[in-house]
Amino acid sequence: MDTSFMTRPGSSPPPAAQPAFERFFREQYPPVVRIAYGVIGDAQAAQDVAQDVFIAAFQRFPDPGESDQACAWVRVAAAHTALNAIRGERRRDRRQRLSGAAVPPAGPEETVLDRESRAEVRQALSRLPRQAATVLVLRHSGLSYAEVAEAMNVKVGHVGTMLRRAESALRKEMQNVSRH
Amino acid sequence: MSHVTSQELRRLVDEPMAVPDRDRSHLAGCGRCQAESAEIAENAAAAARLLGSPAPATDVDLEWILVSERLRQPGPAGRPAVRNPWRGPRRLANVSVSAGTAAVVGVVAAGAAAAAALTTVYAPTHVAPLPVSRSDLSAVESITHIGTAQLTGEVSPSGSRSLAFGELSWTTAGRPQQVSSIARARALTGLALPAPATLPQGVGAPDRVMVQPRVTVTVRFSQSAGPGVGGSTLVVTGGPVIAVRYGSPPGSTGLPTLAIVAARRPVASSTGASARQLETFLLSRAGLPSGLTEELRLLGNPSTILPVPVPAGMWEQQTSIGGATAVLVTDPDAFASGVIWESRSGVVYGVGGLLDKEDVLSVARQVG
Repeated sequence: MDTSFMTRPGSSPPPAAQPAFERFFREQYPPVVRIAYGVIGDAQAAQDVAQDVFIAAFQRFPDPGESDQACAWVRVAAAHTALNAIRGERRRDRRQRLSGAAVPPAGPEETVLDRESRAEVRQALSRLPRQAATVLVLRHSGLSYAEVAEAMNVKVGHVGTMLRRAESALRKEMQNVSRH
Repeated sequence: MSHVTSQELRRLVDEPMAVPDRDRSHLAGCGRCQAESAEIAENAAAAARLLGSPAPATDVDLEWILVSERLRQPGPAGRPAVRNPWRGPRRLANVSVSAGTAAVVGVVAAGAAAAAALTTVYAPTHVAPLPVSRSDLSAVESITHIGTAQLTGEVSPSGSRSLAFGELSWTTAGRPQQVSSIARARALTGLALPAPATLPQGVGAPDRVMVQPRVTVTVRFSQSAGPGVGGSTLVVTGGPVIAVRYGSPPGSTGLPTLAIVAARRPVASSTGASARQLETFLLSRAGLPSGLTEELRLLGNPSTILPVPVPAGMWEQQTSIGGATAVLVTDPDAFASGVIWESRSGVVYGVGGLLDKEDVLSVARQVG
């Protein structure tokens, strides 16, 4: 197991670690929230995901400096954590349907139509293979092909292929979700 | 010539300049590639429509405070459910209990050590009223040696003074200056301050627009200052500030009638003492009236609230400006009123003058 990111008990990060991590946080927090929001569609839940991602990132990159690796890591971790959250939601929805429990009412700022279409997108995303959902979320949160490639550890040339397949799969899933 | 790959056809949608010329030439004359390209573009547009949500508004200062607090906490708060995305879930499932425990202990140790460096502890997001009496203000002045004269007078570019529990020093990014217009003040400070289009009756044109650049105040607590704060350094930044004073119409009293102030909210960073420890330290100062201590405790989370002192005898009520919580203070004789609020972008606004509350609110709503 790779334990290189763990700080040993009794050891401490370099003195500059905390300011460096705060700078990293301030730069990367907005894109990380945007990625999580693109998946979850709820600002509060997206910020909760972002918090968890940065807490975990501190374990791995206590002194991230200008590390491209740290930037890539938090972005892909945001996509995965948000996708995990909506997969959990899918399980909850199924449980609710089976138990006949009522769905909570829409909030004041959210119309029923908005919620239904957002729920359909979340459902379709949660059914896609992990890699397909991740490439979609990263690219459509505004990352360039090079940034997506760096985050997913693939060649830039592969991003187009992955995107094409993922977008085609998303469209089919949306049609399936709408039919049910 | 072979057909254009689907990889290049997809990239053509987002980054056409990255696609080789030969592929674009081929596409122009190939019906099969054109049909595939159209389908790919359609799928890409559908995905963009479904997933391209606008970014939610975020308060990075506040979020950093929350993350810093969690980094200091042992237990589940410091152990989020985030898998390492660069490793497979099967391998993660095999992590032994001892390794997991080591990770948690490591985070706690790292968090505790990190607390020794400068980190944000105060970034208010909203205002709240704080009732104060004349004796409360005198007590605060005698503890901090900072009173109305220091707060309202011109700030010297730098200086320091001794406190019972350490040393206070300050520097400014420049001297306060009078500028020609609100637009000029906006350009110098980067603060959003629209000039109200409609002014209440009896209010003349702006007769003075002042700009105070950013001020940084540093408090170095002595080692013996107290538990949690001893040896810590607290750095508070405030401003820049724009203050606009309005006069009277020509031929009338000539007295100032209205003032509008906009300031970047204060933000505090500490080298170790948390917001709670600082609050506990300040509230335990000898000489601080017990009533004021109680009112400060009742304010709630010390990291996110900007207290607005409301002198005894004034009427105070909570209202809303531009969707933000605002504190409205009025003189019982309706001789003067003022309102203070913090916008979602972290700018604190104040509007006040020799006006009744309806007039003050009408100006505030044009500003906020």
